[in-house]
Amino acid sequence: MRCAGRRMAAPALGALLLLLGAAAVGGREVSMQYNPGWNGSSVNVLHVRAVGRSDSLHYVWSSIGAPSVLLVATRSPSSALSIDWSRLLSPAPAGAVWIEPPGSVVYAAAIVFTKLFEYSKADASEVFYPTYDLSDFSWDSINRTVNHTALTAELRGVPTSDPSGSFSNGSLAFRVTAYGSGGRDRALPGLLHTANSSKVEFVLTGAAPRGNGSRFVLEVATVEERGAASRLRSVRSIDDEYTPTIFETLSLVAESQNDSSALSFLQWKATAYGSQHPTRGDGIQCHAGGLRAAGGARPRSAVVRAYFGDGAGSAYGVSAINVSFGGEDGGAYREKRYLSWSALLGFGPPPEDTFSPLIISIVAAALGAPLLLLLLGAAVLLCARRRRYSEYEPIN
Amino acid sequence: TFRAQCGLKKALPSRRRKAQQRALLGPDGGDGGSAGSPRALPAVCDPSRLPHRLLVLALMCFLGFGSCFCYDNPAALQTQVQGDMKVNTARFMALYAWYSWPNVVLCFFGGFLIDRVFGIRLGTVIFSIFVCVGQVIFALGALLNAFWLMEVGRFIFGIGGESLAVAQNTYAVSWFKGKELNLVFGLQLSMARIGSTVNMNIMGWIYSRVQDLLKHTGHTTLGLALLIGGITCLFSLACALILAYLDKRAEKLLCKEQGKTGEVIKLTDVKNFSLSLWLIFVICVCYYAAVFPFIGLGKKFSFSFFCSVVYIISAPMSPIFGILVDKIGKNIIWVLCAVVTTLASHIMLAFTFWNPWIAMCLLGVAYSLLACALWPMVAFVVPEHQLGTAYGFMQSIQNLGLAVISIAAGMILDTRGYLFLEVFFSACVSLSLVAVVMLYFVNHLTGKSGGF
Repeated sequence: MRCAGRRMAAPALGALLLLLGAAAVGGREVSMQYNPGWNGSSVNVLHVRAVGRSDSLHYVWSSIGAPSVLLVATRSPSSALSIDWSRLLSPAPAGAVWIEPPGSVVYAAAIVFTKLFEYSKADASEVFYPTYDLSDFSWDSINRTVNHTALTAELRGVPTSDPSGSFSNGSLAFRVTAYGSGGRDRALPGLLHTANSSKVEFVLTGAAPRGNGSRFVLEVATVEERGAASRLRSVRSIDDEYTPTIFETLSLVAESQNDSSALSFLQWKATAYGSQHPTRGDGIQCHAGGLRAAGGARPRSAVVRAYFGDGAGSAYGVSAINVSFGGEDGGAYREKRYLSWSALLGFGPPPEDTFSPLIISIVAAALGAPLLLLLLGAAVLLCARRRRYSEYEPIN
Repeated sequence: TFRAQCGLKKALPSRRRKAQQRALLGPDGGDGGSAGSPRALPAVCDPSRLPHRLLVLALMCFLGFGSCFCYDNPAALQTQVQGDMKVNTARFMALYAWYSWPNVVLCFFGGFLIDRVFGIRLGTVIFSIFVCVGQVIFALGALLNAFWLMEVGRFIFGIGGESLAVAQNTYAVSWFKGKELNLVFGLQLSMARIGSTVNMNIMGWIYSRVQDLLKHTGHTTLGLALLIGGITCLFSLACALILAYLDKRAEKLLCKEQGKTGEVIKLTDVKNFSLSLWLIFVICVCYYAAVFPFIGLGKKFSFSFFCSVVYIISAPMSPIFGILVDKIGKNIIWVLCAVVTTLASHIMLAFTFWNPWIAMCLLGVAYSLLACALWPMVAFVVPEHQLGTAYGFMQSIQNLGLAVISIAAGMILDTRGYLFLEVFFSACVSLSLVAVVMLYFVNHLTGKSGGF
């Protein structure tokens, strides 16, 4: 009896606490779970749950197949992720992942990191080296890197078969950071984030380039539901306060076909960095383009197929873009063997940078002070002149 | 790329002119006593005749060419210096700061050194040697991959550079007088700017030719390119030696005295400076601190030759503005116009992606106007016996401001980006504007007239 009573009281108290917590922070309560419902550690599924006052967001990161993240927004603060592990790990995972209760799902999308290309420019032609297919990598267990207070985790892997030995001393990693409230990163590129977003950082370290001046291209695919279409937006702004000398912000936005409102986004600054604690001089050029619909291709990520099903084309659409790194000579990576690219992914419209209050106040002071002084001086002059004239007395 | 206006800082001529004309053009004039040469010389060899003096004029102009060419070498090769020597912008800007540090002190002593210690001929040669040695050490630092050595080279270069300008002006006053002086100073200024412009356009090309020769890029390529650029300094040194010989010869033939700057510096006069003068100092420091707005603007707009635009515009505009300001007076209104125009163009550069042509042209015009209107104002507010001290002090704090602001600007760019840098410059210009407005009212309220 006491048990039942406690069991009934606990959820209500928990929901109340979460509500209070969310109200106090003005953000979300974020929790991370590793392989929910399964005890093994040979595969990685990281479930990040961000609960707000009346809704909750789910980010399901996994490395079964290609590294990917499934984004689901639900209108209930108590929605939960359910995984049928036996089906998920089988060759036909469709339907193995769903949200309880299913009717609470408002929107779902996914982002899959599919391939890493490497090429070098010899004179006028480009030489492509064999592609690294990210679904053929073997990944370390995320469990060791999950930090529940800082809300970060790292998914690191190397190719299962590496004939050229380029990853003998290196690895490829995706660092995930979840956010419960708005704010800005301290480290470059200083992305502005909201409570509805998470950050993913693609890090390539130590991998030996296979050519002189190799450049890398990461292929990123998005899966969107019927009724949404992906668009690559580029915003140029004069404000480079937080990422010095970078003036362009790119975002891959899934827009609703009805009213073009943004449903989810992947946003990044047009730069990558070549060191662990980057400064402005460590910038590496980053370009993105080639947004194309991938037609009937099925994303090679088990979790994505498990959620969206296998009926490609009718239930969901797949688009892909290429993000390329490296300047004219690709020398930056060759020396330090470190490449880091950060992007923000989340729900709703992508956050927009505004001028900091410091800049606005300096400009206001700089423009206002001379004007004020001019007016003040003119007033003083007029008074002085009037007083001088008033000292004269008429002769008669 | 960073641009410090080598040619624009040399607006000194108009200010030294008034001091020196009175000192030198007494009853003896500059070339009195020509009766002592009965031999008839060909026109080119006769120091009292025009063709010879034209030859001397040419030598005088090229005297400053080398130092102005090499002064802006870091700016012309900024990406290469930062890439080959692996320095961030703040350390790169130290190359300019080190040029300015010695001149904080030297500009008080330039006149003294030339008048009392070395004499104009030996002084010019010594300063030219400093310029050459400085540039060679600068290039050596690049060859040996030692950035500290490059900074030492710039320091030595700075010792020679500014003092060489003083020497150049002293030569001019010694050989020419009256209305000719305006033209001569104008030509010297134009040569300085031509030197800077040529530097901007040629050094990059020289670097790429050396790169093709050596088949790789690195600090050796940079060092060789700088050495090749240093040939202009050797050329200027040659001009200095020839000038010294010709001057000595003229002295014997015409029985005229060695030229003197005629400046008297008394540092105790500083406490007697009026409020107007301090305001002029503030205008000068704040304005020239914002003269570095071109840092990497080439990269922002993907154009790198805009920087030459300012020089190209100011070359013809300076004499025009000089005549205009001399005739009309009202210096302070001209200064106000120049500062407001500069503020407008900075705001344009900071807050828009508009074609930078407009802003750069405006900047070029404004700088020329300010140089012609600001420096003569000092002569109006200061009694004659303090003029030397006032100008020396003004140059000293200008160099101090430049040295400090170069490093600050580099740090700001590295940590906060272009927008913040431009806002910082706009704030400097705005401070200068505040000083101009205050100067106008102080001048009005104290009822001082006298041309401005």
